[in-house]
Amino acid sequence: MTWLNYPFFVFLTSGLWIAGLLILLFSKTSKFRIVSDILLICGVLSLLYFTVALWINLERPTFRTLAETRLWYAIFISVIGIILFYRWKLIWMLGYCLFMSILFIFINYLNPDTFDKTLMPALQSPWFIPHVIVYIIGYAFLAVSSLIGIKGLYLLSKSKSVEKTIKLADNIVYIGFSFLTFGLLFGALWAKEAWGHYWTWDPKETWSFLTWMVYLLFIHFRISKKKNIRSSLWILAIAFVVLLICWFGINYLPSTQTSVHIYS
Amino acid sequence: MEQRFKSISQKRRFWQFPWGYKESFLISFGILISGFIIEYISDGKGISLPGWPINLIFILFFIVYFVFVYKYVKHPIVKWFSSTQAAISSISVLTFLILLMGFIPQENQNVMPFIRKIGLSHVTGSMPYFLCSFYLLVILGFTIVRRFLPFTIKNFAFFLNHAGLWIVVVAASLGSADLWRLNMQLVENKTNFVAYDTQRNPFKMPFALKLLNFSIEEYPPNIALMDNKSGSLKIKKGDKLIDVIKDTITRIENWEIVIDKYIESAIKDSAGYNTSSHVGAVPAVYLIAKNIQTKKIKDGWVTCGSFLMTPEFLMLNDEYSVAMTIPRPKKFSSEIRVFNSIEDFTDIVIEVNKPVKVCGWNIYQSGYNEKMGKWSNMSIVELVRDPWLPVVYTGIFMMLAGAVYLVWMGRWERQKLMRLKL
Ligand code: HEM
Repeated sequence: MTWLNYPFFVFLTSGLWIAGLLILLFSKTSKFRIVSDILLICGVLSLLYFTVALWINLERPTFRTLAETRLWYAIFISVIGIILFYRWKLIWMLGYCLFMSILFIFINYLNPDTFDKTLMPALQSPWFIPHVIVYIIGYAFLAVSSLIGIKGLYLLSKSKSVEKTIKLADNIVYIGFSFLTFGLLFGALWAKEAWGHYWTWDPKETWSFLTWMVYLLFIHFRISKKKNIRSSLWILAIAFVVLLICWFGINYLPSTQTSVHIYS
Repeated sequence: MEQRFKSISQKRRFWQFPWGYKESFLISFGILISGFIIEYISDGKGISLPGWPINLIFILFFIVYFVFVYKYVKHPIVKWFSSTQAAISSISVLTFLILLMGFIPQENQNVMPFIRKIGLSHVTGSMPYFLCSFYLLVILGFTIVRRFLPFTIKNFAFFLNHAGLWIVVVAASLGSADLWRLNMQLVENKTNFVAYDTQRNPFKMPFALKLLNFSIEEYPPNIALMDNKSGSLKIKKGDKLIDVIKDTITRIENWEIVIDKYIESAIKDSAGYNTSSHVGAVPAVYLIAKNIQTKKIKDGWVTCGSFLMTPEFLMLNDEYSVAMTIPRPKKFSSEIRVFNSIEDFTDIVIEVNKPVKVCGWNIYQSGYNEKMGKWSNMSIVELVRDPWLPVVYTGIFMMLAGAVYLVWMGRWERQKLMRLKL
């Protein structure tokens, strides 16, 4: 197996996933559930088959180049999406994960194995993939939780019941927050293994820690007996602002002069 | 409405138990402000934590203290210490402090003196940070003890999350005082056993290191158009540089460029560039560039230069030349012989991201002589010893397990609730 065979797998996998998603979306009964499950899993297997066969063919682990790295992103993100779907029935999240996966495999298709030359030494680590994947997924969940929060605020302003909405937000935050925790901890483990310290309070680290703290506040505020739904929803909205700063705004802050997380 | 009515009818006076948000937040911000004041009085010196064995005594003392107070002191304040209100207030002040840190450049010399004096220029080493995190750890400690005694399986995930966090923070911060981080400079074929800390204090190591060989593997160079006047490369963000591969033809602007010859390592003599592994040799390409419109042909050698040789460009016209970028290091590694005694030695290889453990010390590849680049015969290694590592790792894995649990269980039962209509 070589990269020459790759286009076949790109289309096979995307085709299987899209078919599976469409069945899930449009079948009214759960009769076809098993069919869509099989399609989704076969999509992952096809990609996994290519990656492993490539590994055997190259006689070395396929973790070296950026293109190979993207294959693993695609595999892991889709697997996590499917597991979360199996557990929580979040079809939009499944859609998001599969979309990210397909994006990654298509980037590879359009740039077959060329960009591999730019991975700097510090990033050539087995921690790199899990670290990025859990953040991608965590951010997605937390972003959605904020949308739900905004919906809740809207419902409140119309004096409608928000009971169900906020409970949904709770669950989504628990999931997203946990992925964020994975991200922080993987980052700490990686830094320790590679450079000898867990945490350096580099601006990106500072802001991702802040994000984590604000969602921690939300979680505990929701447990507390004297909770107030309106305040909870506001915490959720503010948390999203912090998340956005962490995600995009970092480059514009005065505290950011040097950071290993910024590549210009 | 009903709730509001109730809270008015049984209105609790300020500071009357049980304390609520008001008292909790007053206490937390009181602690923060005391921190600022102490830092100001001590002239922004910050605080340093005690090392072995005092740190261990502290930790054991606090664990015993939490359990003892929880079991035997029946005062409402003990209950408050493990309340969500106290927890929220402590998380809030710490978040607030770190938020300030997120906006104020850290370890920067040009901050306002006042900011430095109250510790905001070095938050994580400052008194307010120390007090606020200490306060959080005390509340967390009481919370853990309350839920842990008596232990039930139901509380297991709670325990993993909270005790994991407590262990990570306590062990990583108190343990940092026992962390040794030294630098040693190695020169090829010389043996060294003295390492230095950041203050340049020398330390004798229990072993000696001899650098057998230092090597850098580089990515192949690229070529690109260069502006003759400014000397900067003419590339936009996202543009690809041209990889140097023999016989490829590329079009840039109006020029068709053929890479006619490529020598990975070359030295210039009167006849041009020739293969050589001499120190200071450079990658060299022979280019033939043809202007598509005017059919004019230019050719010549292009190199990126080294500390010995000047770079060479191919001038296309008054505006542009073709230049070669300096190859970036792909990986650098040191072969090192470790001596425990004269006869007893082992050979190791270290590279970035791949440290090797020797006698309880981790040896990291840290630097080299960048001026010499590939021909550096000097390698800088970092020696790190961290006796608290297993404790911190235990905490981290507890938190990871706790997080897996949260993903799986969520807050509420899985219901139709989850079918979201956004
Ligand atoms: C890794 C970070 C943390 C996570 C994932 C977390 C998660 C949780 C969860 C899920 C609960 C509800 C547990 C249940 O009802 O069974 C809870 C309760 C609680 N947490 Fe945390 N927490 C974290 C950190 C903290 C910190 C830093 C504090 C204190 C400063 C704290 C104080 C509390 C308190 C007081 C409760 C209420 C316990 C009770 O009422 O029995 N937590 N936490």
